Amino acid sequence: MTRVPLLLLALCLGAPAHALDPGPDPVPSVMWEFYRKQWIGDEPYRFDQRVKVVAPPFAEDARQVPLQVDARDVPGRVRRMLVWAELNPLPRIVDFAPGPDVLPWLAVRIRIEQATPLRAAVQTEDGVWHVGSTLIDAAGGGCTAPSVVRSQPGWEERLGQVLGGRYPREDFSRLRLSVAHPMDNGLMAGIPEFFIEHAELFDAAGRSLATLELWPAVSENPSLSFDLRRPGPVRLSLRDNNGNAFDAAIE
Amino acid sequence: MVIDSGPSLRYGQALRSAIGKVTDKPVVQVLITHHHPDHALGNQAFADAPIAALPGTNAQLAKEGDGLTENMYRMVGDWMRGTQVRVPEQTLEPGVKRFGSHPLRLLAFTGHSGADLAVLDEKTGVLFTGDLVFYQRALTTPHSPGLLQWMEDLQQLQGLPWTLLVPGHGPVSQDRRPFEQMMDYLGWLDDLLRDSAANGLEMNEVIATPIPERFAAVKMSKYELIRSVSHLYPRYEQAAMARVEQ
Ligand SMILES: [Zn+2]
Repeated sequence: MTRVPLLLLALCLGAPAHALDPGPDPVPSVMWEFYRKQWIGDEPYRFDQRVKVVAPPFAEDARQVPLQVDARDVPGRVRRMLVWAELNPLPRIVDFAPGPDVLPWLAVRIRIEQATPLRAAVQTEDGVWHVGSTLIDAAGGGCTAPSVVRSQPGWEERLGQVLGGRYPREDFSRLRLSVAHPMDNGLMAGIPEFFIEHAELFDAAGRSLATLELWPAVSENPSLSFDLRRPGPVRLSLRDNNGNAFDAAIE
Repeated sequence: MVIDSGPSLRYGQALRSAIGKVTDKPVVQVLITHHHPDHALGNQAFADAPIAALPGTNAQLAKEGDGLTENMYRMVGDWMRGTQVRVPEQTLEPGVKRFGSHPLRLLAFTGHSGADLAVLDEKTGVLFTGDLVFYQRALTTPHSPGLLQWMEDLQQLQGLPWTLLVPGHGPVSQDRRPFEQMMDYLGWLDDLLRDSAANGLEMNEVIATPIPERFAAVKMSKYELIRSVSHLYPRYEQAAMARVEQ
């Protein structure tokens, strides 16, 4: 009589409904568990090659490393994308929440301090995190190198200037933006954190299309690219941690 | 006379002993074509000879030499032991300068590194191009002011009355093929970066471009494309985008 409930109990303990076998980590590192606990917590996750984290094999310029995350092959709608450089002193890069009109794809340039795994944890609507990974080699120092922006006279006047472009593709269009901002990470003596922490895309009707939280592992003069399912003008609004707000409009 | 002293003290010493096997005459002059570490870090081995370079090269070595040297230590470690930057104490002006019986035409360009010396021996027709010419090895761009500038420099260089070409990297040549390969490669790279920026490609997409079949013999092209995209693509991107802030 007690067998059935016990068995049920055992099933519940041993294999809760949300448990998943994450599979092998393609780029094991000492910090993986630490950050997984911090940002994914007890939610189900799996290492998933369908999340493509694309970076060069080595960082030619550790202050401006091009990083691309492509989760278009993950089945189901993508709710969030968390991206980090695992062995950075400041690992977090972005937390991206694409709405239905924005593809689960993102390109950004980042700073890395040393050779490191790069991770993108992509959460689909069923709550599962799909983790894409790659390794990048680096001589290092990208997070602690002196600011290029601050060495250029008149940079304060250029703060918040935005270069942009829109590029048609077969079934979507690409939006590229480059924002003048030092993205100070607080690791340089005498220069406190000063970085763009929030970006949001709107359509012409003022509807939010996507939000992006940024951390100062994003390079100075941040380069951001999004792929939008639909044509039509969009507006990008940006805010830094000092309360400065910037706006840009792209046809 | 020595043109370029190599990447380290140890290399400079080996170069010296190789010279000693061909002649017992002393080294009377060292010329450094540009500030890159693989050309200018063997200077200590020639402590007893005057060393000369373009003013721009000396300024770059004074400013960036230690950083470039550190980077070499990181890459090859012990092979660099004892190597320190020695900035040339003489500066060169473009023009003809006699060394013994050889009138050398000294030419100043900028396309590869910002300050690039080429040397034409007017007696023999031997042209030392420094890194303005790479042959069968992909060119490098970390300090290039721009690929179009580099192509202009090459137009001038190839018009000189030379008979034997000594590239900065790759085999010597008696024909124009190194120039043809350089112009072709620079033109391809410039077009690739310009078209990619006009089409809104990401750096990683540009890096993934296949190297054209005709450059199959050019070593390290895949690797150097990754580096060149990092060095040069931002300029092309900026030129292809417009101000959109409100
Ligand atoms: Zn060079």
